[in-house]
Amino acid sequence: MKRIAPIDIAGGILVVAFLALLPMFAASNYLTGVLTVCVIYGIWASSWDFMSGLTGRENFGHSLFIGAGAYTAGFLSSIWSTNPWVSLPLGVVIAIAFSLLVGFPTLRLRGPYFALAMLSASAILQRLCLIFWEYTGGEEGIYGLDPLMKNPLHYYWFVLAILAVTVIALTLLAQSHWGLLLRAIRGDEATCQAAGINVTFYKIVSLMISAGFAGLGGALYAHYQLQVSPPLFSVVVSITVIIMVYVGGIGSIYGAAVAAILLTLLTEMLRGFGEYRLWIYTLTLMLILFFLPNGLIAPLWRRLTERLR
Amino acid sequence: MLQILIYGAVSSAIYAMLAVGFTLIFGVARILNLAHGSFYALGAYAAYVLTSLLGVPLFIAAPLAVLIVAGFGVVMERFLVRPLRSSQLAVLMITLAVSLAVEQALFITFGSEYRNVPSFVADKLSIGGVDISGQRLLALVAGVLVLLGLWLFIQRTRLGAAILAVSQDPEAAQYMGIPTNRIFSIVMAISAGTAALAGVLVSPFLTVQPTMGLLPMVKAFAIVIVGGLGSIPGSIIASLILGYSETIVAYLISTSWTELVSLVAVVVTLMIRPSGLLGRRAAF
Repeated sequence: MKRIAPIDIAGGILVVAFLALLPMFAASNYLTGVLTVCVIYGIWASSWDFMSGLTGRENFGHSLFIGAGAYTAGFLSSIWSTNPWVSLPLGVVIAIAFSLLVGFPTLRLRGPYFALAMLSASAILQRLCLIFWEYTGGEEGIYGLDPLMKNPLHYYWFVLAILAVTVIALTLLAQSHWGLLLRAIRGDEATCQAAGINVTFYKIVSLMISAGFAGLGGALYAHYQLQVSPPLFSVVVSITVIIMVYVGGIGSIYGAAVAAILLTLLTEMLRGFGEYRLWIYTLTLMLILFFLPNGLIAPLWRRLTERLR
Repeated sequence: MLQILIYGAVSSAIYAMLAVGFTLIFGVARILNLAHGSFYALGAYAAYVLTSLLGVPLFIAAPLAVLIVAGFGVVMERFLVRPLRSSQLAVLMITLAVSLAVEQALFITFGSEYRNVPSFVADKLSIGGVDISGQRLLALVAGVLVLLGLWLFIQRTRLGAAILAVSQDPEAAQYMGIPTNRIFSIVMAISAGTAALAGVLVSPFLTVQPTMGLLPMVKAFAIVIVGGLGSIPGSIIASLILGYSETIVAYLISTSWTELVSLVAVVVTLMIRPSGLLGRRAAF
């Protein structure tokens, strides 16, 4: 088992402290709101990276889990008016249920079935949300969720803490024997199988973990926006998350979280470009695929701290 | 009853046109093309621009639209997909990026409102008491002809034999002197062209809007998985199964439930027979 280098721990503490203090210097609800969204994207990106980055099985429908968590929160809080704190664990449970539904038939197989099935499942679920508008509110979605906390700053700190826990938990898992097995599966699935590793079991459980954190992020997002709508299931959300992981450096988890925060901030600054925003995103992805196949954040960090290790 | 028979045949034909191209480029070049739906959307928009904006006569506009999209497909394969071919993941990512870029480009140029394309055939026909628009019938006939033509092309011509050879073993084919890269371009052109033709044919009776490509592409995935990845006859059979089950569900229950048909079909197929109806291998 590989230990996490002290410099990585120091870097992590520094980044979290900086993020936590940032709204104190420029006290505005706008900035706090933007940062909350940044941090939630961080949870989504690192959870994607855990499953797909480590095992190499691309999940093209992470929005399925995000939307599942968010809609669970929406139904619970707005329609059945339960205590908002109930939505977090239940969002996780429902997202995991969806991961079993898609993962069980597709992850037994090699080949592109999993990627295709995830993409289709998220697209179809978005469609179903629109078709069964009597229950889901259709285009407008579900309104009037209760906030988890009254003070937006406290909520931001809470979400930031959850991101920190997510990254730490997933990094520890990735560094453990478990993570080693997952990376081995990415390397050569047939050999792993020959070595007596139950490849399917590991892939499905890692998808469940990934889905659980994504669902948690979805529920947190729903309780920040206080509404949920079908675009949460859209392919655009999935691809945004994937681009973040790519920029961060696939398989590094912390890189994905940092890239998610930076890219969401960048998107916010590009708001003036309106409809060209997604173009810029897509172009970023193409450029990275061609010129930086290993990503940007994680390799950069490793190079900067090379001497200190 | 007859209504189900005819409408099911029309949607099967359209699905088949989409699925065959998707499975062909996968079977031959191992490219899982997530931009396949954008060929369909581009075909419909090209028809719209040529007919409604430029006033080109319909029967020139249709083949022209197909050619433009086929050219787009070839350019995409040559400059974006080919340099990244060594990694399956990179191919998936780049094709997904292309599909998003196309969707956004359509959105920015044309806006999100629905566009109308004039019908190719204005007449309504009545078959055994069932009214069906000439346009739908044309889509059915064209679909059958294209599939038949494609089958003859692959089975009977020298180029078709080369395509089959590459799909069986690209390296061996290369050693036999078959220019694999050129074959990939040709197959991409065929694949993009058939998808575009489907888009052109449905444009008069379905809504033309930027996101129109996504759902048909999802259906094409489903069909290809049910029929077996890489198998053309399999995808035709699966198109018939899916096209008819959707029509039957729409008539017996309600149109809302049709979207679930393909999802259920995929899950059942992957559980019972992962290689699909006529797939060659369980996994690759």
